[in-house]
Amino acid sequence: MLPEFFEFYNPTKVVYGIGIARDFRAELDVLGIEKYFIISDQVINDLGLVEKVKKGLIDAGIRITGIFLDVPPNSEIKTVSSCAEQAKASGAEGLIAIGGGSVIDTAKATNILICKGGDLIEDHSGVHLLTEPLMPLVVIPTTAGTGSEVTTVSVIYDEENKVKIPFTDKFLLPDIAVLDPEMTSSMPPKITASTGMDALTHAIEAFVGVQWSPFSDIFAIGATELIFKNIIKATENGDDLEARGAMLVASNMAGTAFSHSMVGCVHAMAHAVGGLYHVPHGVANAILLPHGMEYNFEEIKEKLMRLAPAVNEDISGCSADDAARKIIAAIRKLTGRLNEMGALSLRLRDAGVPEDGLPEAADAAVADGSSWFNPREVVAEEILTHMKNAY
Amino acid sequence: MGLFEKSETFETILAGFFRLMGDTPRIADKLLASKLIIRFIYKDPDVILVVDCSGSKIDVRPGDTDTKAEVEMSMSADIAHKFWFGKVNLMAALTRKQMVAKGPIPKILKLLPAIKPSYAMYPKYLDENGYSVYNVH
Repeated sequence: MLPEFFEFYNPTKVVYGIGIARDFRAELDVLGIEKYFIISDQVINDLGLVEKVKKGLIDAGIRITGIFLDVPPNSEIKTVSSCAEQAKASGAEGLIAIGGGSVIDTAKATNILICKGGDLIEDHSGVHLLTEPLMPLVVIPTTAGTGSEVTTVSVIYDEENKVKIPFTDKFLLPDIAVLDPEMTSSMPPKITASTGMDALTHAIEAFVGVQWSPFSDIFAIGATELIFKNIIKATENGDDLEARGAMLVASNMAGTAFSHSMVGCVHAMAHAVGGLYHVPHGVANAILLPHGMEYNFEEIKEKLMRLAPAVNEDISGCSADDAARKIIAAIRKLTGRLNEMGALSLRLRDAGVPEDGLPEAADAAVADGSSWFNPREVVAEEILTHMKNAY
Repeated sequence: MGLFEKSETFETILAGFFRLMGDTPRIADKLLASKLIIRFIYKDPDVILVVDCSGSKIDVRPGDTDTKAEVEMSMSADIAHKFWFGKVNLMAALTRKQMVAKGPIPKILKLLPAIKPSYAMYPKYLDENGYSVYNVH
């Protein structure tokens, strides 16, 4: 049976190749502009990744009008304002983002301010408020987890009111996503593991969520398979460009899946422990994913069976209950292996969550927007039990 | 032409329903906890309603265009009516611009579980207040 309604809109051109970030002039030619402003951060710059891209662009005859490197790990409104001011003054016709989720989200929000002006929060926060395309945006991810290069969302921290403000619009979708495994090879094992598990959580929550569609299912299954085959290799050996590439593609596919089908209670819990106790998002998702799946067990067990090939489990002859348990066990085995490698925590207690803080976190999870898309209602007392199990 | 011919009728129905929610503790408590001020801008027929959850009780103010609202929701009267029957897929409505939401949408999403009981209340409210003719969606 199909959902009552679904939409699939995926206009971002994705190009993949080892070393392609050094030369993607053919893709830029299609956009028909020559003046680009680069947005990145100091860490990425210090790793030489900005220079690598910049050199290729200059060789291709592209004019770099300026470079903004002051993007913090969680981008802020003042960052976007400053970036937009510089980019606009530089006369840029397009933006190139080189970085992780924060850099990409900054570029998306910067694009709004450059093209539409006004106050970012007052005038532009909301859903689908834009009425026309912004300037071209090219994204080169340096992590493999957020999938932000193919999502409609930009999340920026409002430092004045201490809240994260989302901007959701189809016009925020980048024009081109350049996936180059070389750009992620310097990621340390812990970041590789946690961002990779973030991508797996995107895939699985989109797959079982109430906003599922046949299109997002395909992307979710594909991402799950790639992650299961490659996350250990990429974490073990950062120079394994084949594994790095597979994780980049998986993150991209999972991004496509959840951009259309949203996420559920695992993200709700992760947002809660992230907001209250500063647990990194990927780590929180990795710890809570099997527990969230158990919370949803009755609602999702039939559908989970379809993930068996992707997680390399033989469920022939199994009941739905047994098959779903095998899928969840496979995820636990995967995170267990990452834990043995010293790359991932398995318990909330190891991630800095105080035990007496769990009830507050459970309440926050219920109130989180992601709960709305969970396959079953998120009830505080019940989700608390699962958070205690994760403790 | 939508289901509602006159602005006055739709305004009376919706304002009354918001006030009913305000008098229903299991819903009102959560709305008040949000502290949100929401302006609903309805079209066909045109009605503006501000639902102010920033005080000690929920204040519903028809026609209020002056208060600074944190969130503005624009939609046709028919979509709003259908929403209160629990028959609108919010994501579909937003992506197809049947609803336009301006402001911090996660705060609105947080309220959705709280207002879920109101879906059952709406048809009953229509019948009990002489609006049975509108008990269709």
